[in-house]
Amino acid sequence: MQPLKYASINHSWFRNLTVGVTFFFTFLLFIAVGALLFVLKPSEILSALLSEEMFYSMKLSMLTSSASTLSVMCFSIPTAYALSRFSFKGKSLIKAILGLPMAFPELVMGLALLLLFGHGFLGPYLEAAGIKVTFSKLGIVVAQFFVAFPYAVRVIYSTFEDINPRYEQVSRSFGYGEFETFRHVTLPMARSGLFASSVITFARCIGAFGAVLVLAGGSYMNTEVLPVTLYLNISYGNLEMAVTSGILLMGIAFLAILSFERFEGGRL
Amino acid sequence: MSFLEVRGLCLDTGDFQLSDMGLKAEKGDYLALIGPSGSGKSLLLETVIGFYGPEKGRIILEGKDITDLPPDMRQISIVYQDHMLFPHMNVFENIAYALRKKIRDKKQIETEVKQIAGVLGINELLHRKPETLSGGEKQRAALARSLVARPKLLLLDEPFSALDARTREKLRKMLKKAIADYSTTVLHVTHDFEDLWTLANRVVVIRKGEVMQAGDPESVFRRPSPDFVAEFLGTNVLKGKVKTLEGKLTVIEAEGLEIYSADPAEPGEEVTVSIRPEEVILARGAMESSARNTLRGRVSGVFKKEHLFVVELKMGSAEIKAIITPTSCEMLDLEPGREIYAVFKASNARIIR
Repeated sequence: MQPLKYASINHSWFRNLTVGVTFFFTFLLFIAVGALLFVLKPSEILSALLSEEMFYSMKLSMLTSSASTLSVMCFSIPTAYALSRFSFKGKSLIKAILGLPMAFPELVMGLALLLLFGHGFLGPYLEAAGIKVTFSKLGIVVAQFFVAFPYAVRVIYSTFEDINPRYEQVSRSFGYGEFETFRHVTLPMARSGLFASSVITFARCIGAFGAVLVLAGGSYMNTEVLPVTLYLNISYGNLEMAVTSGILLMGIAFLAILSFERFEGGRL
Repeated sequence: MSFLEVRGLCLDTGDFQLSDMGLKAEKGDYLALIGPSGSGKSLLLETVIGFYGPEKGRIILEGKDITDLPPDMRQISIVYQDHMLFPHMNVFENIAYALRKKIRDKKQIETEVKQIAGVLGINELLHRKPETLSGGEKQRAALARSLVARPKLLLLDEPFSALDARTREKLRKMLKKAIADYSTTVLHVTHDFEDLWTLANRVVVIRKGEVMQAGDPESVFRRPSPDFVAEFLGTNVLKGKVKTLEGKLTVIEAEGLEIYSADPAEPGEEVTVSIRPEEVILARGAMESSARNTLRGRVSGVFKKEHLFVVELKMGSAEIKAIITPTSCEMLDLEPGREIYAVFKASNARIIR
């Protein structure tokens, strides 16, 4: 049932106050975001967009974010399902550890990954197997994966929590095993939540900066993704390129939120 | 050996528990499980179907121990109060889903689905999504889905409790026919005694995870075990002592009243008398009747219960309830404090032990 929208008390001071605060801060945010769009002339944006560096950065961002989104979804679905449906030892600890990266800065995450995949721990073994994670394109995917994974698990976890386990039990009673039930009942019922999660994951991956910079290094036209382009060009004083990559990131985020709102029914 | 045997089932989930629960059902039986909320009725169903594993005890179905089998190997279906139709499938797909593990042939699936849809009157709804159906339609679709698989055992967990009285009545008739057509054994958890009278051939009264009484509805209602079952079933229960015997009748002095019962007892014996409230007739004056018991008292309260009225009477030191029709209620002009006579046969005053 839809909650009652207090239509009959339209003119209360409390209603005016809350609506006023909403308008004020949304307007400030709009001005701040809109400023990005009006700093440059359209011709300057166009020339920055068509530059070789921007093209490289966009392509690398799309490729790495798609790869990391796919990997995040592959691993976060079973993780979220296990956390939602099964009881096992250490579950609370796992939930706490998975939540950690959302609370501490991306830079710290990058440093932790650098230590893990660098020369101290896994690095030598991986390099012996021909896999180089640090200061490589693979490093971008790994950094994006670890930044986005906790968010994806959280969204998918709440999606599974919203599905009454009795649907699965009913399916089991018709002779379907656990995996068949998951495939035929749970996954289709979680469809919109999974879509929302993949959109949020993609947006997190494409916008990941600190962890990417520390693990993959922000090297020009090598491990340069859009946030790195923005950072490098600010350092050089090239405002056209910096602002254009900012506009691109903002556009992607806007599209992501728009699809999220549309498929999740705007459950803010 | 019975068709279904539940032996000494023990389970504690924290909120609900089963303690040494045991029951039996023969093939084709319709068991109504009744008891107060939280007594473990639904937990019993979910343990029988295999969603919970018992800490102790066995479940035997058709002579086979199924206690450790997963739910998909038991051939038991369940219908919940909130139907649990898969929202991403239409009604046809929901019903067909129950068959797909058994039958590969699409034509045969279609025939089976249409057959059960005909029995439950949902042929017109097959292409509809669950969200577009009314509560009664959803429950019919859920029943169809559970029956079409021809389960050995069908479990119903208050399937009608969210429906209005008319829909409930209609559904009971349909269910009765469907159960007969598909010759299924049923365990039905309900709070509605109407389900019990119209559908069940056996009733099991459960309290705190234990079976308090089991038998056919007639005997359980007419001769409930003293205390809990009698009180739960809403029976008038009076405690007293046999005063004397008058021919074939036993005269009992109970809570300031003299009651004649057709049941045998020994003079001086401490007994409990049960009188069903619907077997008590009310009259404004003492009336000529074959009923041996005519007791005078005063009305202490009148309450509406569905389409009938419950009248509470103060008689001696006892409280007696009577259930009467709205017409009788109007004719008697009942109001608290009014003098009234309660009349019932000696055969309706049953001595329970």
